[in-house]
Amino acid sequence: MTNHEYDMVWIHYKLVRKPKNEGEGVIMNVGILAKLYRQARMAIMEDTHDVDANCDGPDLDFVYSDVDSYQNEIAELYSYTEFSEFQMNVKAFEDQMELYDLPPNWQKQDATSQRSIVMKLVDQLEVSDRSFRMQAARCILYLAQGCWAEVQSDEEQHQNTRDNVIVLYQLGVFSSFIDLLNMEIETACSPDIVAVKITNVTLVDSTDIRVILSVLYIITETIRDEREKGSEDYKQLAESFVQEINSPLPDGELLAVKLLGMITRFCSGAAPQFPMKKVVLLLWKVSLLGLGGMDVLKNLKNEYRAKVGLEPITEDTLEVTKCMRASSPPATATDILENQYPKRNFKRSLMKQRFLDEPEQIDMEMSGNEGGPNANNGNSSTGTGSGNGEDELSQYYRPFDDPSASTSGNSNNSTATANPNNQPSHMQPPVAVPAVQITPRLPWTPKVRQKDIDQFLDISRNKFIGYSLIGDHESLAGLPQPIHEGFKTLQRHMYVSLADMQIKKEEDIARNPISTHEDEIKLTPAEILYQAILPNLPQYMIALLKVLLAASPTSKSKTESINIMADVLPKKMPLTATQSTKLTVDMGRHKEIIVKAVSAIILLYLKHFKINHVYQFEFMSQHLVFANCIPLVLKFFNQTITEYVNTKNSIPLLDFPSCVIGEQPDLSGDSFVYGGEMSDKPYSWRNVFSCINLLRILNKLIKWKHSRVMMLVVFKSAPILKKTLKVRHAMMQLYVLKLLKMQTKYLGRQWRKSNMKTLSAIYAKVRHRLNDDWAFGNDLESRPWDFQAEECTLRACVDRFNLRRYPEATQKCGAGGGVGSGNNGTAAQNAENAQQSNMHAGNGSGDRDSNGYGNNGSSAGGGGGGVGNNSSGQQNQQLHDYGVEGGFPSDEILTHSDFAFFGHSGWWDRKVELTDYFKANYAVWLEEEVYNSQTDWDAL
Amino acid sequence: MKMADGSTILRRNRPGTKSKDFCRWPDEPLEEMDSTLAVQQYIQQMIKRDPSNVELILTMPEAQDEGVWKYEHLRQFCMELNGLAVRLQKQCSPSTCTQMTATDQWIFLCAAHKTPKECPAIDYTRHTLDGAACLLNSNKYFPSRVSIKESSVTKLGSVCRRVYRIFSHAYFHHRRIFDEFEAETYLCHRFTHFVTKYNLMSKENLIVPINEEENAAPGESEA
Repeated sequence: MTNHEYDMVWIHYKLVRKPKNEGEGVIMNVGILAKLYRQARMAIMEDTHDVDANCDGPDLDFVYSDVDSYQNEIAELYSYTEFSEFQMNVKAFEDQMELYDLPPNWQKQDATSQRSIVMKLVDQLEVSDRSFRMQAARCILYLAQGCWAEVQSDEEQHQNTRDNVIVLYQLGVFSSFIDLLNMEIETACSPDIVAVKITNVTLVDSTDIRVILSVLYIITETIRDEREKGSEDYKQLAESFVQEINSPLPDGELLAVKLLGMITRFCSGAAPQFPMKKVVLLLWKVSLLGLGGMDVLKNLKNEYRAKVGLEPITEDTLEVTKCMRASSPPATATDILENQYPKRNFKRSLMKQRFLDEPEQIDMEMSGNEGGPNANNGNSSTGTGSGNGEDELSQYYRPFDDPSASTSGNSNNSTATANPNNQPSHMQPPVAVPAVQITPRLPWTPKVRQKDIDQFLDISRNKFIGYSLIGDHESLAGLPQPIHEGFKTLQRHMYVSLADMQIKKEEDIARNPISTHEDEIKLTPAEILYQAILPNLPQYMIALLKVLLAASPTSKSKTESINIMADVLPKKMPLTATQSTKLTVDMGRHKEIIVKAVSAIILLYLKHFKINHVYQFEFMSQHLVFANCIPLVLKFFNQTITEYVNTKNSIPLLDFPSCVIGEQPDLSGDSFVYGGEMSDKPYSWRNVFSCINLLRILNKLIKWKHSRVMMLVVFKSAPILKKTLKVRHAMMQLYVLKLLKMQTKYLGRQWRKSNMKTLSAIYAKVRHRLNDDWAFGNDLESRPWDFQAEECTLRACVDRFNLRRYPEATQKCGAGGGVGSGNNGTAAQNAENAQQSNMHAGNGSGDRDSNGYGNNGSSAGGGGGGVGNNSSGQQNQQLHDYGVEGGFPSDEILTHSDFAFFGHSGWWDRKVELTDYFKANYAVWLEEEVYNSQTDWDAL
Repeated sequence: MKMADGSTILRRNRPGTKSKDFCRWPDEPLEEMDSTLAVQQYIQQMIKRDPSNVELILTMPEAQDEGVWKYEHLRQFCMELNGLAVRLQKQCSPSTCTQMTATDQWIFLCAAHKTPKECPAIDYTRHTLDGAACLLNSNKYFPSRVSIKESSVTKLGSVCRRVYRIFSHAYFHHRRIFDEFEAETYLCHRFTHFVTKYNLMSKENLIVPINEEENAAPGESEA
């Protein structure tokens, strides 16, 4: 029965999705569709109750959130090779206290005396003698680390950190350390230091700057954590801290921009000793605290939606996926082979292996292949698909009732409390798992865009009335009843995104630049950040991606131009086997942490820019795409991803603070390296986190962009993504499935046939778009030049937006710093003028437009100076990288898009130089050319 | 002070005012001051009345916002310190005092630059006072003189710390100028009291000796 109903849905689904020439089929079925969804939900619900018991593989109990536990986030700041430096901090403290004639015990000091000591230390930070200054800095680091030499347990240490951070922040330590950071950046860039070869840089070269970054990080992270927890004593302090990091430093730079600048400088090879891990970690936390995490994002989005008159979002992806169950991994040929030779070691498999099913599955798929390419075949293949799908579907909606998962969670907890000295690397509580409700239905309500409704109306009108009404979204006159019904269904599910409204507003402004009123631009944190990074955004994106590339496990670090390992490698290479094992683990851990932080930064920025203004998001994502972000992420996933998720590059005993508190482990022995492995979680939090971040970044970049979907196809992402599905985590799978869904129709019939399981999973898990022919459509829009046009039009819109809102910053960005500083003011002025005149020209006919741009472009090339030439050269280079060189296929596209790439820097960079002769006879010109020339407006 | 029409008193130094007539207008109670600069006016009035009565000058009127009070005092300090800087210029030049030192133990960095660096003492003085003026007048940190953002109050401490070094340099290296200036203005005395009272600096860092007996004018007794 349930099986039958599911079949029905599947069949209708296919019917609806028939090629466009069978328009009637499309139209007739839309009305029924809603009903079918309901039936499908019922069917699934019954399924869920039927087959609850047969669950044979644990899902990862990973819960996605902004950050890992505070303890882990702090522990990850230090590499294991930094171990010896902890002692230097306590030594610095003791020396300092001796200087003050006080006992070396922080906790014995009363509050006034503590404040007084900190004030003296801060004073000492401004002394010119470097070693003396750094002694104070180390001393402060020791205080920020919670005076670990005086305590017996992690809790005490945490409590000390908490208390000290308040004092430190209130006495201005944070800004003093930023001054120190400035000094380090400065000295790093003075020419006499650069002599160090990149490959020879070690931990020693970054000693001081690491102390500084560590203090900044601990303060930031502690305040972030306490704010999250809502601690009373931190409330006011946290607010003013957030205010501080969201406003420029005294030198006019935003802290985040300073850090991004450090990364860029590092990538250019100018400062190889910058400890990248600490820089990206600090940047991540500063951005996270400044912009806000998931909750803030959700609220902001609803707030912005309400402001433009849209209803709030009801479905939160993170919430919904918590109730989803991971699918079993799709079978691949290698899996089946491996199954036949069980000696291949699969003991740590997190994935659910349903090997018994597989041969059968193959058989069925084979029989599907044999069928002819007729409509019947479509039915039969879906028939088999759903026949299997019956019990398959049930798994997707199973609650998290998995006993092994919950018991392991409990045992983790109990060990943590019983043994507080033990590294609490699994403090993440198994978040109230049992209460999670099964979703007895498809997880998402379907959506439809206005564009799709229009298309639907257009087709039906053409069919029944015989002509189209462009721009009419509503009138149903003359259309039959089922169309009315279908239309109503569609409309009920229509979803207008914030981006749609923002794009519409931009279009209005472009069309009527004077009469359209733009609301005042609110200086939200995201807006401030965008304005600050806009002039150098391309470089920043490239730098972030370079670091990400260097840190991804598939890259070969030796050949890279940058060496991100500088802040792990000790001066003396390890001699014993144990030490080198330790170093290997350390290096792996180091890379993972960098990937985690960078992926989190990119995702965070994308998400915030997207709700702040969609074109800010588009600008950033376009530069990510130009910098080859998409292949880079795919390359990242082109590894044994289950292994990556399981990797245990950590030695709990060596994590801070365990490594310094209580009884010290025997560091010479061999055992400690592996000691913690058994008790740990079966997966690595940070690696799952990074994977999900990267998948989400990919989704953000690609969604609704045909050209980029084609990149997925071109780079053969499907097998890579399918491998990723093996990780049994619902949220991660959802994002993979989304990526697969986008490209399914380009993958060909053969692929679809052999991947019915995956298609079923997509059907069951990813949101449905009514009328969307994702699986079987013959895409008419897939002509290659269309993609270029699409990218160019988008670029044009983004540029228009940037020019209008941020003329000066865009100027700097386009000219790449080539414009002399003396000219800046006037140049910006000109840009503004040119931009306005361009908008007026925009009202004219298309022909005049193209002429205007052409002329400007050439004049910039000739007389406008080297600036225009230079940057258009860059653009060409970018185009080349992107693989769309060779020009555009037709003139028509060129006129629409030329200024996006070629004329881009031409028409607004141009500076108009008036001759003295003209200036002297200006009045005559005015008389002749303006007052006396008659324009026949009617003729225009 | 007579003005054109006797009924209203304009508290301005008009062009052409003689130096002995500078700021010579009658006191006005704080409650009657109805400008946004009331606190500054009040403080200046108190100083004019008796610069040696540090305690009274620093006594905060009731219902006064403490942040604003501290801010206005610090502004006033920086303004008056310019007087010391002018006097120092005669004697302290980059060639005589190449580094900013107080006791010879430490050389201080000048924090007014994008990256702190070693400046000669007189440059340190100028840069620091300029920097402090910039900060205290910056729209970003102190957009209002009626209420002060919590996050900006923490900036005051660092200004005090840096400004104080001017006193200490003058005291240890240009004692005569310092004493003369102090005798007139009691500025260091007042500053020391100020930072101690509001806990803006550590006592150990206040290295210029200030006599504990309140009535003796500190500069003179040591000269």
